[in-house]
Amino acid sequence: MVAHPDWSALRAAETARMLAACTRCGRCAEVCPMLPYAEGAQGAPAPALVEGVLEVLAGGEGSAAARGWIAACTRSGACNAACPEAVNPRLMLRLAKWRANETGALPKRDAAEAMSRVKAFARLGFSATEQEEWL
Amino acid sequence: MSDALFWYGCNMTRHAEIIRLGQRMLAAVGVGASPIGGPGACCGSPKESTPRIAEGMANRTMERFGAWASGVRSAQGGAAEGGEHRSRESAADRGVRSAQGGAAEGGEHRSRESAAAPQAPPRVITWCPSCHMNLDDFMGRTKEKGFDHRHLCEALWEGREALAPLLRHPVRARFLVDRHIGFHAEVPVNDIIPALLALIPGAEHLDHPYRGGSYMCFGLANVPGALADHQRALLAALRETGADTLVTIFHSCHRELVGLEKNHGIRVVNWVHLLAEAMGWAYQDDYKAWRNAEDPLAAIGPERVAAAGEVAVKKLVLPELARPRPV
Ligand code: SF4
Repeated sequence: MVAHPDWSALRAAETARMLAACTRCGRCAEVCPMLPYAEGAQGAPAPALVEGVLEVLAGGEGSAAARGWIAACTRSGACNAACPEAVNPRLMLRLAKWRANETGALPKRDAAEAMSRVKAFARLGFSATEQEEWL
Repeated sequence: MSDALFWYGCNMTRHAEIIRLGQRMLAAVGVGASPIGGPGACCGSPKESTPRIAEGMANRTMERFGAWASGVRSAQGGAAEGGEHRSRESAADRGVRSAQGGAAEGGEHRSRESAAAPQAPPRVITWCPSCHMNLDDFMGRTKEKGFDHRHLCEALWEGREALAPLLRHPVRARFLVDRHIGFHAEVPVNDIIPALLALIPGAEHLDHPYRGGSYMCFGLANVPGALADHQRALLAALRETGADTLVTIFHSCHRELVGLEKNHGIRVVNWVHLLAEAMGWAYQDDYKAWRNAEDPLAAIGPERVAAAGEVAVKKLVLPELARPRPV
């Protein structure tokens, strides 16, 4: 038996769990190595940043500082080690980014050419047999 | 049908020689693994700005792997229970009981367990940390897995008794490893890889406390300023330790760091390259040669350009090879 029938159900369950479990203590933001790169987040109090992330996760706009933090998240997971509530803030920010991409709160990353590039490199580097067997 | 898949991901198509070497190393430690990756075996990461599309891609991959795994189990006579049990062993448990002192306990434990089981479960051996984490976080939580998964470095570490005697050729390298904070909680790469490389005669690991953000350089490359800062920190750590070689762990780190070789008086190699050198295996790092060439198109060569399609190479490959160096 799998835990969730699909990604939407998984996201809904995780979102509900995170919104309930997070105490907004801000430790995840305090230890984040990417905060210095987050546009508009410098000087923002850590609990307020987290509150903004949770707003985005729930489908809202969130603050500009929170959106800047979400955009700068690179999944270091330093937050997971710091979180006293086992919220999994790394996943929290990732799901918040997905939600923001869907609501338009954050622009989507342009990955239009990513797979064409992957295939072009495969044609350059793989033999004909490797292309047949490995792709 | 091989008992394992070597799931190299998608962006590894830039580094065909690492796929070949990885497969050959797995064979050398007794794991027959077929490479698989590219758009037809995608974890969905490249399309995650649109989760619905990412999910569709990931589901197709899980169906493909599921069909392969049930084929393996049928060939084994339906004997491969236990994979799920082992795959749920926590990262902390199998962590780095690991690479430093007692390193091997996870592997020993599993091999004793395997001995008790009638057959080893079908195994997917990962390379890409994005794929590995997507399998943990999404794919394996929404689709029946039916196979076990391990990272390549874990599989080689488990097979180190077979690997070590093959590392006969001294490699003169005082190396620093490009380590990141992320993914280490899932697979203790930051300990296992230096431990594997420490088996190479002549090679000296120079430890340094610096860890980059993200879990590989790809993430940093998308955040203004972050990759340049990371590269500056690595160069400072190289100077501080007196290292002459920078070892990359993942493909995106290799892609972003090989360019440092051109102007900074260091050598940049992937950990798999270094193991191959110690085994006396020849390889060619095309991506590095192309990235550092004055004329990448000429370095690729007209025949290969023609075979890959000149329009595609000029549109998709050259801009990447000629992109500015952050430092
Ligand atoms: S995710 Fe954890 S560390 Fe971050 S604010 Fe919530 S409880 Fe605190």
